[in-house]
Amino acid sequence: MKVLHVLKSEPDDTTKKLMDVISGEDKDIFVLYEGDVDWDKFIDEVFSHEKVICWW
Amino acid sequence: MKKLAVIVRDKEQQYEALRSSLGALLEIPSVKMIVLDHEIDMHEAYEENMEFLDEMEGERYSNNKANVEKYGFKYATLDEIGEMLKEVDIVIPF
Amino acid sequence: MSKLGIMVRDNKYLDYVINTAKAANKKGIEVEIFFTGKGVLLTQEERFKELVDVAKLFVCDVSFRANGLEGKEVPGVGFKQFVTQARNAEMIEECDRYLVF
Repeated sequence: MKVLHVLKSEPDDTTKKLMDVISGEDKDIFVLYEGDVDWDKFIDEVFSHEKVICWW
Repeated sequence: MKKLAVIVRDKEQQYEALRSSLGALLEIPSVKMIVLDHEIDMHEAYEENMEFLDEMEGERYSNNKANVEKYGFKYATLDEIGEMLKEVDIVIPF
Repeated sequence: MSKLGIMVRDNKYLDYVINTAKAANKKGIEVEIFFTGKGVLLTQEERFKELVDVAKLFVCDVSFRANGLEGKEVPGVGFKQFVTQARNAEMIEECDRYLVF
């Protein structure tokens, strides 16, 4: 299952570890906490993945 | 039918997370509540709702052994928790 | 039509919620938002009303009262939209994607 990892804040070691177990090295991440977020792209990414996890 | 896991890291939200897990069980048969790192701050309302969760066949896991020994959570390592999150359709982090 | 469910359990991410809901709405996606826990505090924010035309809004009644908001007005939320956690469970089942803020 294709998973999108959404980061609302900088991930700590626990979050990184869980993301690694779920998706391995090659994971799709969308960062919301820095830079200018492209919200249209965010929605496209959400709907092009089968599963989305919004981490802490 | 979707499978759901509620993963609880914020101790202040432990009760809210339990309420969400219970509510989810009304529609979703497979709900896992996973308490990460901290020991449950047990109180009457939490205990009562935890018993409802058990009655409704929700599952409880923790990587904190105190929760296993004192409150009957099933033990799971962080790796095992990651595997559980991999298996479900929806993850709700608290 | 695709459907997006959003659970708001924290009061830190109103901007994210508004931006997500507006972007989804613009793409013709139906948006439902369930406010619970500390998330209900956002119902009293000035910008909350920006959600009224872009999403169907639901508020956990227990959380609303537990946070001392009983009797307060919430834009776009009638009494039928003050609901239990069961509504969130329905939303999870019904939605194509589900986000947590």
